[in-house]
Amino acid sequence: MSTMGNSTNIFWQESPVGKLERQKLLNQKGCVVWITGLSGSGKSTLACSLSRELHTRGKLSYILDGDNVRHGLNKDLGFKAEDRTENIRRVGEVAKLFADAGLICIASLISPYRKDRDACRAMLPDAFIEVFMNMPLALCEERDPKGLYKLARAGKIKGFTGIDDPYEPPLNCEKLKPRWQVHFQFKSCNVYRHYYHQLR
Amino acid sequence: MVVVKAVRPAISCSSSGFDGGQLVPLHKVSFVNLTLPASLLSVRLSSRNNAKLSLVQSTKESSTASTNDRAAVFSGENLHQIDTNGKATNIVWHKSSVGKVHWQEVLQQRGCVIWITGLSGSGKSNLACALCQALYSRGKLAYILDGDNVWHGLNRDLSFEAEDRAENIRRIGEVAKLFADAGIICIASVISPYRKDRDACRSLLPEGDFIEVFMNVPLQICEARDPKGLYKLARAGKINGVYPPWLLYLKIGFTGIDDPYEPPLNCELELPQKGNNCASPCEIAEIVISYLEEKGYLQA
Repeated sequence: MSTMGNSTNIFWQESPVGKLERQKLLNQKGCVVWITGLSGSGKSTLACSLSRELHTRGKLSYILDGDNVRHGLNKDLGFKAEDRTENIRRVGEVAKLFADAGLICIASLISPYRKDRDACRAMLPDAFIEVFMNMPLALCEERDPKGLYKLARAGKIKGFTGIDDPYEPPLNCEKLKPRWQVHFQFKSCNVYRHYYHQLR
Repeated sequence: MVVVKAVRPAISCSSSGFDGGQLVPLHKVSFVNLTLPASLLSVRLSSRNNAKLSLVQSTKESSTASTNDRAAVFSGENLHQIDTNGKATNIVWHKSSVGKVHWQEVLQQRGCVIWITGLSGSGKSNLACALCQALYSRGKLAYILDGDNVWHGLNRDLSFEAEDRAENIRRIGEVAKLFADAGIICIASVISPYRKDRDACRSLLPEGDFIEVFMNVPLQICEARDPKGLYKLARAGKINGVYPPWLLYLKIGFTGIDDPYEPPLNCELELPQKGNNCASPCEIAEIVISYLEEKGYLQA
């Protein structure tokens, strides 16, 4: 019996079809590509581009976009610090399930706090690729694709990352430095190359 | 308030914040393409009257939807309303460039959720494993979300109290939906005793993609099996004359417990089939496989 957390009498179920069998079936190894960065740094766009790139190579991926997940699994969470932590934790747990299923799970979230991202990495020590969209705040704000920086500057949104809530950049990750003229396909190829050499 | 009203077969869209219009539906679904203004604060999908809403992730599914960074495309039947309420504001739906159709082609299967419900000891986990094995032997990708497995990870912060029990089912339903969306046959094996919680999970998915399998095994047989020794514990386990919360959660249908297990009223499959209480998990799995084949889930 397990006595983890609040539950006792919970049994870990063994399934005869495991991770290795699924890897064989899909001809790939499951992992998590965790794309982090300020709002407007291009995370979602990179996620889509990467997914497309993987598809052309016959690899199965799935995107967990921070905004999309907040419409479903995490619709009960807001943006207080503890809700952000829980948001990231749940996405990390789901991404781990997808990786166990054999998919390349692309998680695209601001995920501003280092300890939360590190906690997700700890769940998947050998299959976690952190991608930092290192776009300066000024450029993100200039792009402002959802009009959020404007609202934050006007004081209509409180606790907005980059304006009045901190973003803690990763210390050890696969860095991509997007510039305006760099096509997203190139960046997603970089991520694919990193994945291919780390995990094949 | 933004309202998208749908009367089949056409959808009309009226709102001060959106540029909508009449669109002719494709095939069985109706959809509306909403060009999002820059000042949009939030969009949230909500459905009433059994309306099924699903995100169209690949615009190849629709020949008339436009594709630009400011557009969101929703598809569904009997769309009723989209509102801007909820805890999370300033959330914009992102379309993905590789949609469900692509994954279905890659896997040669269609994603769905097989929701196995029943008393503890009714054989849910055995069926889940047998089904997974049978699908794998046919080259299909399935993944099990077992109530016990999920407790160790995603739902480790929950207890057996009433509100957490409902949240447990809700989260499993949401995750199963994500797996189905990815093209995987997701097998959820959870006691899930309340009808309303199971129905809420059903409503998350397009019609047909939620396949409820009821393991209708009498309590006496479950207790006789007692694979984990829990019934024995339960019989002995009253504390001060009261069952502890985790035993209530088992929903083992003891007389005197207020919340018995609520069997499904309209499930897709009830197993084992009548007169065949001795069927093995593998035999039962083949019945589920036949259902999946008949409904087209084992092909693109």
